[in-house]
Amino acid sequence: MTTTFTDITTTSWDDALSAIEKGYELGWGDGLPIVPPTIGRVAEFIGYAGRAPDEVLGELPERRRVITVEKAAANAVMAGCIPEYFPVVLAATEAMLDPTFNLVGPSSSMGGSAVLCIVNGPIRDQIGLNSRNNLFGPGNRANGTIGRSVRLILMNACAAIPGLFDRSVIGHPGKYTYCIAEAEGETHWMPLHVDRGFNASDSTVTVFAGESPRQIRAVGRPEAILYTMADVASTLGTSMSTSGSVGDVSVGIRQGQIVVTFAGNSNLWRDWTKDRIREYLHANIHRSVADLKRALVLPGDVEAGDEAAMVSLIPEPEDILVVFAGGEESNMASVIPSWGPKVGSTAVTKAIQIP
Amino acid sequence: MHDGIHVEKAGLPSATICTDRFIPTAQGMARMWGAEDYPTIFTQHPIENLDRPALRERAEGLATEVAAILTGG
Repeated sequence: MTTTFTDITTTSWDDALSAIEKGYELGWGDGLPIVPPTIGRVAEFIGYAGRAPDEVLGELPERRRVITVEKAAANAVMAGCIPEYFPVVLAATEAMLDPTFNLVGPSSSMGGSAVLCIVNGPIRDQIGLNSRNNLFGPGNRANGTIGRSVRLILMNACAAIPGLFDRSVIGHPGKYTYCIAEAEGETHWMPLHVDRGFNASDSTVTVFAGESPRQIRAVGRPEAILYTMADVASTLGTSMSTSGSVGDVSVGIRQGQIVVTFAGNSNLWRDWTKDRIREYLHANIHRSVADLKRALVLPGDVEAGDEAAMVSLIPEPEDILVVFAGGEESNMASVIPSWGPKVGSTAVTKAIQIP
Repeated sequence: MHDGIHVEKAGLPSATICTDRFIPTAQGMARMWGAEDYPTIFTQHPIENLDRPALRERAEGLATEVAAILTGG
């Protein structure tokens, strides 16, 4: 199949090293070397996916950007993907450009979030995504390059340039790459995408505007892990707890979604469903009015009753995205608070079109 | 910036105030929409930590400039 590009900038180079240096000169990227996006390689990706080069994946109207398949392909090549990963990148791009996700918020905010991609379904095994040991760490090409593709699309196609339209004050390492899979074959729990209305046989990607993962070490019993997790998720200093209300002013603080991951042996959780976990965490991720006043999030002096009066940080139990993933030790888990209020950005799941 | 530029394009006079840490972002947004000459008022960053009296004082200090932009002065 011959691919006809509609929006293309060409350059030339003498060898691979020159091409990499040229990429730096052109400002293409995240600071790490790119794989040169040759016309042939980009066409190979588009051909594999079976999509038209000029098909629109979504728009960022505030920045006058229209993101097409060919733009996504060029960035997936630069990130080091192979063609078989590209359908995941396409679905992630469509998901983060869904208006519900409100990409302009988390991609520009001083809050410094990254787009976490959580992959479910058969494609995880087909392309070898890691869902176990060193979950958020290095060492796996699919996780590393799919997550990096999303960042390069944000920078090169969506104008999320640090210091210009990406105004993160701190940011976090997940802004280089932030892609995991759920170890859904190793747990009795319903996979995340089934929780969110898809069939188990579907392959999906869920995007979530997340702060960095906070690793949790707890005594390896369900009640102890959940109690510890709720404590960590209730800390001051997250965007959910320590920023003023946006949207629902009756609450006084930003209430947001949260991703939690559980590692280890699923047998430990045989008496717990994801629903039960969500109900427990929703009831226990909160902070006292007294503390929120001390942090100047809520107005006024601390008064009698404020220590016992609790404010929930999560709008509803279903706003807790539960994922079974991570290494073999059941005493380790993680919490990822959202960038901001649910009204500002809500997780989106899209089906991956596997050719 | 985005909203101010669009309100102005729609025919309603607008005046946009940014803190000075956002000068490159504001100018970038103006360039993106072909509105390089859109008048923008920059004030010292930050304003988030100002209490109400201090914020009022800051606003009053900018009022003349805002009025001039809105009235084409």
